[in-house]
Amino acid sequence: MKVIVDLQLCEGNARCMEAAPEVFEVRDDDKAHLLTDHPPESLREKVKLAVRMCPRQAITLKEE
Amino acid sequence: MEKQFSLDTIDVIGPDHYARNGYPHPEWTYLRKHKPVFWCEHPNTDPFWAITKHADIVHISRQPRLFLNGPRLLVFINEPGMDLAPTPPFRHLLDMDPPEHGEYRAIVSRKFTPRGVRELESQIDAIAKKVLDDVTGRDRCDFVLDISSKIPLAVIAELLGVPHEDWEQLFQWTNETIGGTDPEFQQGASVQETLDRARLGLFQYFTDMVAQRIKRPTGDITSIVANAKVNGQPLPQLELLSYFFLLVVAGNETTRNATTGGLLALIENPDQWERLRKNPSLIKSAVEEIVRWTTPVIQFARTAAQDTEIRGQKIKAGESVCLFYPSANRDEEVFGEPFKFDIGRNPNPHIAFGIGEHFCLGANLARLELEVIFRQLVERMEYAELAGPVERLRSSFVGGIKHMPIRMKLNPARN
Ligand code: HEM
Ligand code: SF4
Repeated sequence: MKVIVDLQLCEGNARCMEAAPEVFEVRDDDKAHLLTDHPPESLREKVKLAVRMCPRQAITLKEE
Repeated sequence: MEKQFSLDTIDVIGPDHYARNGYPHPEWTYLRKHKPVFWCEHPNTDPFWAITKHADIVHISRQPRLFLNGPRLLVFINEPGMDLAPTPPFRHLLDMDPPEHGEYRAIVSRKFTPRGVRELESQIDAIAKKVLDDVTGRDRCDFVLDISSKIPLAVIAELLGVPHEDWEQLFQWTNETIGGTDPEFQQGASVQETLDRARLGLFQYFTDMVAQRIKRPTGDITSIVANAKVNGQPLPQLELLSYFFLLVVAGNETTRNATTGGLLALIENPDQWERLRKNPSLIKSAVEEIVRWTTPVIQFARTAAQDTEIRGQKIKAGESVCLFYPSANRDEEVFGEPFKFDIGRNPNPHIAFGIGEHFCLGANLARLELEVIFRQLVERMEYAELAGPVERLRSSFVGGIKHMPIRMKLNPARN
């Protein structure tokens, strides 16, 4: 699975970081940075929660 | 027990219904189950599709080019004396669509990130403390007039750089704008006159302030907006003034009603109040639950740019859909025991702040305000109970509590 963040939409609300801190980190530029763009299968539920919680709907999860 | 309704007579939009009964949760629950995409006709507005499921509101909100804000911002019920074909009196973020919307939103969005608002925490703390100090020692108050309405107004006024002596005036215009359909705020004038008076007052006030801030910018939001450029040009007059108008109005009634409704929920659920008192670390999830529980914004609308489908129902280009946020936040498919007020609820994917392109710009600010207010209330309010009936606003846009008389014991601040 591959994770993509649309930085045009992202406004640093950091809901993603609460849901999946292993994958998302909001830095000083108020944008979500990916700690990995291919998270392991074990994090799938957390990443799905992040997608759901992102208020700007900026995160996409792609199957490969 | 689920209540039964007839689709011919069910009412989810008439303002009188809201004044009398509060939110039509039994009706929404019925629609979610039997007719989640429901064609609504009302004599005083154009017909619309009532959308009541969480998933459908998310689906619509994340496609801002297919479902537009511009043509119809919300389902407004015309009243006697209303101008039936007004020229649009405002143009602000909520009326705009991509790509223009993003450019306007970016002007101030950094001020409203969690990091941006955290700088305000000590100011908000001081504002809330002062408001509570002013009623300490009394054994009764109107929680709305004396407490919940004062804090959000002061915060937004502070943010915009409005001097203290003008706060009362700002408060009145805000009340008239959102409560224009409620007789209490009309002072004998018609709905249209009330709305126009408030709008002109605000526009004139900010015209003067903008002129000052162009000459001498400070760090406040008024300076940022006054000196902003979109596509290399300063904002046109209508868009400029509407920006302030939106900031003043959007953050006031909403946060006030979350505060009032939140205290009411704690009064009605004493076990949850006790739980928060014993576990102050639950404050963040308590705030989320309060926002879900109260969902102060009842609806916004979108208009289909082309033919499409929702849940198998054909929607034609030009038809509008009305997004009922409080219904989504009680959706049985998303929330376990949706009608239970649970300050520990986690996860809590409510959409009281909307979602997607127009997601509430002030959400982080509102969360911080509520956190500060409820932290202080839990610390200082030894008890509170209703001392009379709760009076609701006659509005099917913002779910307002106009008055909430309480008996209380409020202790002085600890330090
Ligand atoms: C509990 C309090 C609040 C609630 C429930 C609330 C709710 C909402 C909702 C439902 C929307 C529309 C979202 C959508 O269409 O997806 C919105 C938009 C907006 N809100 Fe709030 N709001 C609150 C507080 C505030 C505060 C404190 C501000 C401060 C300035 C604010 C400013 C705005 C603005 C500017 C927009 C328009 C954003 C856009 O169109 O891009 N709100 N709000
Ligand atoms: S939740 Fe969404 S908007 Fe917020 S930081 Fe994460 S990606 Fe960005």
